[in-house]
Amino acid sequence: MRLYLRLCAAILAAGALTAAADEQPWTLDASNWEKGKDLLPEPVVKLLQKGEYWFKVVSADPGKFHHNYSQAFWDATEKNAGKYDLDEKTCGLKDKATDKIPDFVFGLPFPQVDKADPKGGCKIAWNFTMAGAMGGGGGATFTLNGVDTGGQFRRIKAFIHTRGYQGRHFGPLKDNPEGLAGEGIGGALEPVDVEGVSTLTKRYWNWEGQDAVWAYVPSTRRARRVNSASRSDPVAGLDIFADDLNCYGGKVEYYQWKLVGEQTILAPLLQPYPFPSKSVSPTRQLIDTPYMPAGYEVPNAKGAPWWIQQNLVFVPRPVWVVEGQSSDPYYNFGKVIMYFDKEMYRIYWKQVHNRAGEYFYTAMCGYHFVKNDETFSAVFPNLVVGVNDKTNRAALGGRFQSSFLEQSWDPSYFSLRTLTHMTD
Amino acid sequence: MTARGTALLVALLATLAGYLWVVERRPAPGFPAEPAPLLAVPTAAVARVELVEGERRLTAVRGERGWTDAAGRPWSQDPVSDLLAALGALRPLATVDPDPATPGDYGLGPGGPRLELAAADGRPLLALELGERNPAWTGLYARRAGEPAVLLVGGVLAWELEKVRQAAPGGNP
Repeated sequence: MRLYLRLCAAILAAGALTAAADEQPWTLDASNWEKGKDLLPEPVVKLLQKGEYWFKVVSADPGKFHHNYSQAFWDATEKNAGKYDLDEKTCGLKDKATDKIPDFVFGLPFPQVDKADPKGGCKIAWNFTMAGAMGGGGGATFTLNGVDTGGQFRRIKAFIHTRGYQGRHFGPLKDNPEGLAGEGIGGALEPVDVEGVSTLTKRYWNWEGQDAVWAYVPSTRRARRVNSASRSDPVAGLDIFADDLNCYGGKVEYYQWKLVGEQTILAPLLQPYPFPSKSVSPTRQLIDTPYMPAGYEVPNAKGAPWWIQQNLVFVPRPVWVVEGQSSDPYYNFGKVIMYFDKEMYRIYWKQVHNRAGEYFYTAMCGYHFVKNDETFSAVFPNLVVGVNDKTNRAALGGRFQSSFLEQSWDPSYFSLRTLTHMTD
Repeated sequence: MTARGTALLVALLATLAGYLWVVERRPAPGFPAEPAPLLAVPTAAVARVELVEGERRLTAVRGERGWTDAAGRPWSQDPVSDLLAALGALRPLATVDPDPATPGDYGLGPGGPRLELAAADGRPLLALELGERNPAWTGLYARRAGEPAVLLVGGVLAWELEKVRQAAPGGNP
C-alpha cells in the first residue's frame, strides 16, 4: 500500500513538473493583475495594477533549474548536513565539532531549513551568503542610473572587483593573513565629478568584527575609514544603497533574522538557465550577457521609465519570507522584508522600512547563472531596480554586458595602495 | 586709571551684562516633543488583542502557554508578539487631519477595521480605527477611538497585521 501511494505521488509530481516546464510564457500586466497579486510584494502589485509594471512570466523545469549550480556544489551541500550550528549571541556560523567558526565552508551550510525553527531565518541568511560566494570572485563595470518620472537625471559608471575566501568551489586560498571572508574594491569611472571616488571593503571571517571600509576621494588624496553602517546610505545621492548588492550586502551577523512565511514569487532573471563562460587566461573567465534597457531608453516604452523593457524574465519560484533588522543605531533601515529562493538562496525582492516604521523602498534584484560543467558554477547579481515610493524615484544598478570570474588576484591588489593610486 | 573710571567701566559692564541677561537671553531651541508610541504601556501588560474586520474577529488571549484564540487554540509562532512590539515602537508619523469632515476619505468610519488591546483586568490599553494606505503606500491612516484626528502610521503596522491574519488559528472566525 505504501509503495502504491509513493508511486502515485511520484506520478503526480512528475506530472506537475512536466506541466510546469511545458507552460508557455505569458504576460502579467494590468489586464490580469489578479493573477499576480500573490506572486509579488504588495507595493509592486500596486504598480502592476496601475500599468506601470508588467512581467514576462516564464516557467523553468525545477530539476533543470536545480542544476544551475554545479553537482560539486550540491554534493558539498549534502555533506554539510548536521555539520554546522549557529552562535546563540551573534547568529554566526559555528562548526559543531569545534564550537568555533569553521575554517572553510563550501556549499549550503544548512541543506534543510525547518519553517518552525526559531533559527530558520539566520540559517537561510547563511545559505544565501554561501551560495553567493561559490564563484570565488570577479568583477564587472556597470552603471547606476537615477531615474524619475521625467527620465534619467543622473548616470554613474563604476566598477567592482571582489575576492572571496569562503564558499569558493576550489577550496580555500593558500594565503589569508587577515582572516577575511572576502574583500572588494569599487570605484566611479564617470562622470568627471566623481571619477576616482572609490572604496575598499574588507570583511572579516569572524562573528563580531565589523567590516573595514575605506573611502578615497581624489580631490583630498586621502583614504578615510568609514562606518560599515554606511551600507544603508544612498549611493551618490541615488535611490540605491550599498546593501542592495544581492539585495543584502552585509554580514549575516549584522541583522536579527526571522523566518515569517513562505510563498511563491516571481524571480527576475536574465534567463532561467546558465550562461557559458569563456576562458581568457588560466584563471579568468568572461561572461557575456545582454543589456536590459529600461523605459527611459526605449522610444514609446510603456510603464514606469525605470521598468526593464527587454531581456528580463520572471520565473515563479518558491521563497522563504524573512525579516531582517539591524540593531546598529547608525543603520538607516528598520524592518527589511526579504524573499529568499528556497533552493538557490537568492533574494529576489526586498521591502524596506525606515527606523520610524515607514515603508519607503522596494528593491528588485535580478541574477544570472554561469556554468560550464559540473565542477564549477557561479551566480551573479546583475540588476537592482530600487524604487523609492516616498519620492517616486528609482535607481537602476548593474545591467553590465560583460563580467568576469577571477580565481587568482594579485595578492596585493585589494589594498589601500591600490585605492589611493587608482587615479595616478 | 582713576577709581572713578574703574567704577564707570564696572557699571558699563554690569549694564551690558544686565541687557544680555534680560533682553537677549532666549530659551535654547529644543527639539519638538516626540509623539508617544501608539501603545504607551509595556507590551507585557497586554492580555487581549482583537482585530475586527467586518464580520471577522480575530482574538488573541495571553495565557500561561502563550497566545490562544477565543476557543483556546494556540496561535502559531509569534506574530501577535511582533504586532505588539511594533505598536510599542511606532509613533504617529503625522497628524494628517485634526478633524476631518469626511473620515471615509481615509477609509475610516463606522464599521471599519478596529484593533483593540486590553489589559488582564479588561482595561482598554489601545483602541485604533484602521484606515487605508496612503497614496505613496508608505503608511496607513488610523485614529484613536473617540478622537477625531487622523494619524499617519508607518506601513510596517500593515505588515504586522497581515502576519496576524495569516497566522490566525484555523481561520479564527
